[in-house]
Amino acid sequence: MAQTLQTSSAPGDARITGAIPAGAASAGLLDGILDGLWHGLTSMRFAIALTLIAAALSFVGALVMQAPAGVLADANAKAAWIAQVRPKYGAFTDVFDALQVFNIFNSLWFRLVGGLLVASITACTAHRTPAVWRTATKPTVDVGEAFFEHAPQHEAMVVHRSADEALAAVRTVLGKRRFRTLVHNDGTMHLYADRNRWGPFGSLVGHLAFVVILAGAMIGGALGFQNPDFTIAEGSTLTVPSATGLSIRLDAFRDSYDPATGMPLDYASQVVLFEDGTEVARHTIRVNDPLRYDGISFFQSFFGPAVILSATADGGSPLFSGGVPLAWSADDSDRAIGTLDLPGTGKVAWVAGTSGGNDTVVRPGQLLVEIYQADGAGTLVERKTIDQGVATTVGGVTFTFQREEKFTGLAISRDPGAPLIWLGSLLLFGGFVLVLMFPHRRLWGRIAPRPDGGATLLVGSIGRKDTTAGIEFTELVNDLRAVLHAPART
Amino acid sequence: MFKMSEYTFVAAALCLGLASLIYLAYAVSGLRAGMLRTAGGPGGASSTVTFASGPYTSELGRYGTIIGWLAMVTLTVSLIFRTIATGHGPFANMYEFSIAFAWGILVAYYWFERRYSQRILAVVAMPVALGLMLYAVTIPSTIEPLVPALQNNLLLTIHVAVAIVAYGSFTVGFGAALLYLVQPEQGRWGLPKPKILEEIGYRAIVVGFPFLTLTVILGAVWAEVAWGKYWSWDPKETASLLTWLIYATYLHARVVRGWRAKRAAWLLMLGFAATLFTYFGNLYFGGLHSYAGLAQ
Ligand code: HEM
Repeated sequence: MAQTLQTSSAPGDARITGAIPAGAASAGLLDGILDGLWHGLTSMRFAIALTLIAAALSFVGALVMQAPAGVLADANAKAAWIAQVRPKYGAFTDVFDALQVFNIFNSLWFRLVGGLLVASITACTAHRTPAVWRTATKPTVDVGEAFFEHAPQHEAMVVHRSADEALAAVRTVLGKRRFRTLVHNDGTMHLYADRNRWGPFGSLVGHLAFVVILAGAMIGGALGFQNPDFTIAEGSTLTVPSATGLSIRLDAFRDSYDPATGMPLDYASQVVLFEDGTEVARHTIRVNDPLRYDGISFFQSFFGPAVILSATADGGSPLFSGGVPLAWSADDSDRAIGTLDLPGTGKVAWVAGTSGGNDTVVRPGQLLVEIYQADGAGTLVERKTIDQGVATTVGGVTFTFQREEKFTGLAISRDPGAPLIWLGSLLLFGGFVLVLMFPHRRLWGRIAPRPDGGATLLVGSIGRKDTTAGIEFTELVNDLRAVLHAPART
Repeated sequence: MFKMSEYTFVAAALCLGLASLIYLAYAVSGLRAGMLRTAGGPGGASSTVTFASGPYTSELGRYGTIIGWLAMVTLTVSLIFRTIATGHGPFANMYEFSIAFAWGILVAYYWFERRYSQRILAVVAMPVALGLMLYAVTIPSTIEPLVPALQNNLLLTIHVAVAIVAYGSFTVGFGAALLYLVQPEQGRWGLPKPKILEEIGYRAIVVGFPFLTLTVILGAVWAEVAWGKYWSWDPKETASLLTWLIYATYLHARVVRGWRAKRAAWLLMLGFAATLFTYFGNLYFGGLHSYAGLAQ
């Protein structure tokens, strides 16, 4: 751990910052800038500042209402949305808007901080890797005698055994604690033992995982698609947008409620999926049970009423026959409304169901039909309430309102970045668990033979100077004593 | 089963209240002794490592621990009964979640008490747990069927259970930071030495941070399965990300000169504030998590 590296005097831990020659004499301006940049990006203070700023932006994002996706791109929708939140934010509304506070997670600020985090993490990881690698694979075994006097934890004992016997005993004790031992014998035996030497790699993995996750999010944003409000009425078959050759049929939608409390229990859409006309999947989509096919997923999202109707042109040629989801609500009433194209007529139709018993214009069993010109100006051609089962001509098109059904609202998505997200999540969790829960513990020893046939054993550790490490070290020393029958020297 | 869970809940709340009082008396007794000594001898800053200096201090501490354990056990039993009665883990609404949170604090606290014998932390941890229990009392405890989005027993259970461990640990970290910040560097009033508090705070985050990471990840997995989007910047998600970032900052601060001591402790305070913000956030901001069982 860095603290250990910085404060201990254990050799072999040469900090890489110190190992870089202090700028070749001929270093030009560019080198200076690059050096400075590298220094900044690998500085922990910079990392602290970045994560704190990211936290502050998130705080703002949690407190201030965020505009729904797509609203800010559409000038009209944006104006409407801003007007809606103005009473809440008063004079700050325009300031917030100018500073992209209403869309903070897509704001320049957030992207900037995210980009800097990625750069900094990448630099930091590159910077740390060699040292971490060296510590794990090429530890210094022979540390010199002075180390055993200055190490945060150290102990000395005299044993009435030969040096070889002492070594064997030490190895056994360490082996039981899952330490591996390396020995270098030059008359004096130099000992290095460690446990969890791969722990610190968890840190590198965990940090890089963050980059992997952001990459996944960017890939998903750039190459994936989200259709959060795909509506389809019972009995209808529609092509799936942004997916070539796929179409989906809704056979039935069922919503059920708890009879006692009226709380919703289940929403279920029975669908059949076709690819180029042949059935490829059949599934009942529920809230926690999406349909997945070939990278595309269908989720249960919402539902509502639909009407089954047919429309025929003047000459009797059919224009439409099927279900129309009434998925919108009118601005000026509680009626649910839906729309259908009337191909070849240059017109579109809007239909509205009754809003209930109090509705005097559209009664239960009736449908309000409005025909508009499909020319951008959208002039109303004719407006008429029609009765169920009675063919009625509105704006030159004959409508027959057959019956009411339901529609389901599905969220459809394809996210090619998702595998990276899940891979990154796994690495993030695994990496940080590894480094935090399996800290690298290191220990040095020295066994010198004595003229009397016995030996002197020195042990020292540079673990974090905390209670846990202290207790572990004391227990280890006690075990060694017990095995070696050694009284303490000091 | 439901009745049993209610009775044991009340028993646990009473035990917890009693334990809080005893721990408080323990603290007062120890502090008084500590202050007397500090004021008295030339020894100035006392050198006691553990906080047990008055005539009744250690006795009180022992009773506090016994009653506190009793609270933990009865609460465990209560949660088990409730699980049997509802057929899902006790994590589905604010009522259940508050009790589970209190339980998490007790478990985390006693783990640390066993390991570090610093009972004084209870003065912070117990009242927080008690507060959550009392808060739970204000919420109807009736069992209602799960709304469709919550009907994923496995993910619901793991996601929240993991969150509970994280939150419990963060509460202990908060207690350590608080006691750290009320003393000068060389210690005061016979409170645990700043160094040991620093270590407890760190250990708490070493456990809590990976668990929070897992909570967020499982939340994303669930969001993907239920709503089709692993991340929607829903306020609750955002708040948990904020909490996560603060604790990550803390882990960095500990190895930077100038950030190690006081500022790191302040980050723990901030992190706990963010934890509470995440937890109670539902009440304020609604969003996708807003179905969590309060009358709407
Ligand atoms: C969102 C961004 C970040 C997160 C969530 C994060 C998380 C963590 C965590 C959990 C630790 C403690 C465990 C360990 O030792 O690995 C840690 C340590 C560390 N991080 Fe980060 N980090 C982030 C960004 C950065 C950046 C930008 C840098 C580079 C400046 C950095 C450099 C380090 C270093 C050097 C350590 C080791 C500290 C030690 O020795 O204890 N981190 N980070």
